[in-house]
Order: sequence, then C-alpha cells, then structure tokens
Amino acid sequence: MSGQTRTVRLPVVERILEANDGIASSIRAELARRGIFAIDLIGAPGSGKTALLEATLRSLKGRRKPAVLVGDLTTRRDGDRLARWCDRVVQISTGEGCHLEAVQVRDALGGIDLEGVDLLFVENVGNLICPVGFDLGQSVKVGLFSLTEGDDKAAKHPYLVTAADLILLNKIDLAPHLTFDRSLFEADVRLLNPDVPILGISSTTGEGLDAWLAWLDRRAAGD
Amino acid sequence: MHEFSIAEAILTQVQRHAPDDALVRDVSIRVGVLRGLEPEALQMSWTAVIAGTAIDGATLTVDQRPWTITCSTCGRSWTSAVPFVDCACGNTTPAPTGGDELDLVSITVDQEETS
Repeated sequence: MSGQTRTVRLPVVERILEANDGIASSIRAELARRGIFAIDLIGAPGSGKTALLEATLRSLKGRRKPAVLVGDLTTRRDGDRLARWCDRVVQISTGEGCHLEAVQVRDALGGIDLEGVDLLFVENVGNLICPVGFDLGQSVKVGLFSLTEGDDKAAKHPYLVTAADLILLNKIDLAPHLTFDRSLFEADVRLLNPDVPILGISSTTGEGLDAWLAWLDRRAAGD
Repeated sequence: MHEFSIAEAILTQVQRHAPDDALVRDVSIRVGVLRGLEPEALQMSWTAVIAGTAIDGATLTVDQRPWTITCSTCGRSWTSAVPFVDCACGNTTPAPTGGDELDLVSITVDQEETS
C-alpha cells in the first residue's frame, strides 16, 4: 500500500426497502398459492379500524374463513376484541415501531393454521404515514378515514390516498353532529387518486357495510 | 417515526455494498415526496444508527423529489413542494402527482491507491 487515498463515488441504484420488499413478494406468492385475498387496513388511531373489522367479521361468519393480524405498539386489546369473531387472530406487538414490516407478517402467518383460509385482514398500526411505504404482501390497501378526524385528512396524507385501492369513510352516522364537508374530502381524494372508490360506512349502525363487503367479494373474486 | 427503520435499511445496504477497505464519506439517496420523510428526523436517525459502526461520521445526502403539478385547463406542468396549489391560469384544482421512490443512489468512499 502506498498510503495514498482517493475519493470515489460508487453508483449503487437499489431500492432502500429491498429487503422488506423481497419478503413481501414471498408472502404474496404464498398467499396466492393458498387462494388467500389479503387486505392491509391503514387508518389513524381512533378511526375505527378494529370496530370495522368486528362488524366485518360478524357479517362474514359462516360465509368466509378469515384470519386477522393486528398490529399495535402495545396491549392485546384489539386482538382480544377480534378473537370473539374469528378464531385465527394474531396480535403483533411492534414495541416502538409505528408500522408493520413484512418480516412481522411472515412470522405471524407462521403461527396460524391457514388451511381453508380465504381472507386475511391485516390491521396496521394506527398511523396514516409510516405504514403506507412498507409492502406486506397484501392484495389491496384500504385507507380508513373517519368524520371525526376532519375533512382535510386526505389532503394532509397524500401517500395513503394515492396508494389506496379503496377509501372508506367511517362514522357517517355522526354527520349531523359535525361540520365535516364530505364534498371537500372527496374532491381532495379525487385530485390525488381519480379512480379510487370512496364508500361511506358506519360500523356502529351498519350503514354502508353491504357495499364494503360487496367490494371485498368482487376484488377477492379477481374483478 | 419510520425514518429510523429507513435509516437502518440504508445502513444495511451500505455495509453490503461498500468495499471492505474503504472509508465511507457520504451516502446519497433519492426520496419521492409521497414518502413523507421528515429530513431532520431522517438525519437524526442516520446519526444514531451509524454511531459506533464502521461508517460512523458518514454524511447522508438526500435528494428530495418534489410534486409535479399538472393543469388540465391550460396544460402547464411544474414542480412544487406542496401538492394543492392554484394554476396561474385561474384553475384552482390542478392535479398533483408525486413519486414514492426510495432509492440508494451512490456511496462516496476514500479508497487506498493500490498502484
């Protein structure tokens, strides 16, 4: 060695989340092999993700064989709520993690008997930003917003809106008590993602749930 | 704070790609605006994840890509830091499009001359 050094710039074009994306691809292939349609449900804390899944699982009882993965920083409360409606529920504790990553989904799936399962719901950690960029091997991403969050929520979280295959607007039963401007919300969504369906729902009253379940059936059937 | 996960992923990649005998000076990445990465949080996470590693002290250069705004009324297209803006022609709803790229672009290293 001469001791001389030179500074060189080495071009390396590679996706930063390549490791996550690789695991997600293998999950996607495995789910496809088993005929499982997977939904990554993303919404803010308090938007009603768990309540929506409770209502959904109740409606699917006897008709579908779902499994559920539910991510939270801490506690098993959501998992316990959902276990009343489904016997294949895994709670994933993310500790300080603000989102689920593919490796956590792969490990959680390893703990469930997937025989006969046809739907997989993944309730992501309550957060509108971090979870969007991490591929989990899902078939579709569903963005859940709610009237109580305010009508500018979609505009403030463009990544979820552009990435979503469906936008659900929850708590529509509260509309008489709030100043939520639904046309403004929908106009913002349309600017970011012109073709995404937007469905108004109420997990409490059941309004709009038929349309959500019909969308799910249609997409799971490959339409 | 997904910046930390991303900083960790960058570190793993740099460790894989940087030559063993090289001193890593800088890591350059490209980030689409949709990613919602907070530059300060990313720099803070970067400093934290590389502390005590072989690349401790390496800088992180972030090429943050902006929104592209396209006006369907007058056909004009331009870049913008924010998505919801008016067009000079008067249209208040030109369409924002943004990328979600998150790529490692290059690693700058000091290498011993072997000649």
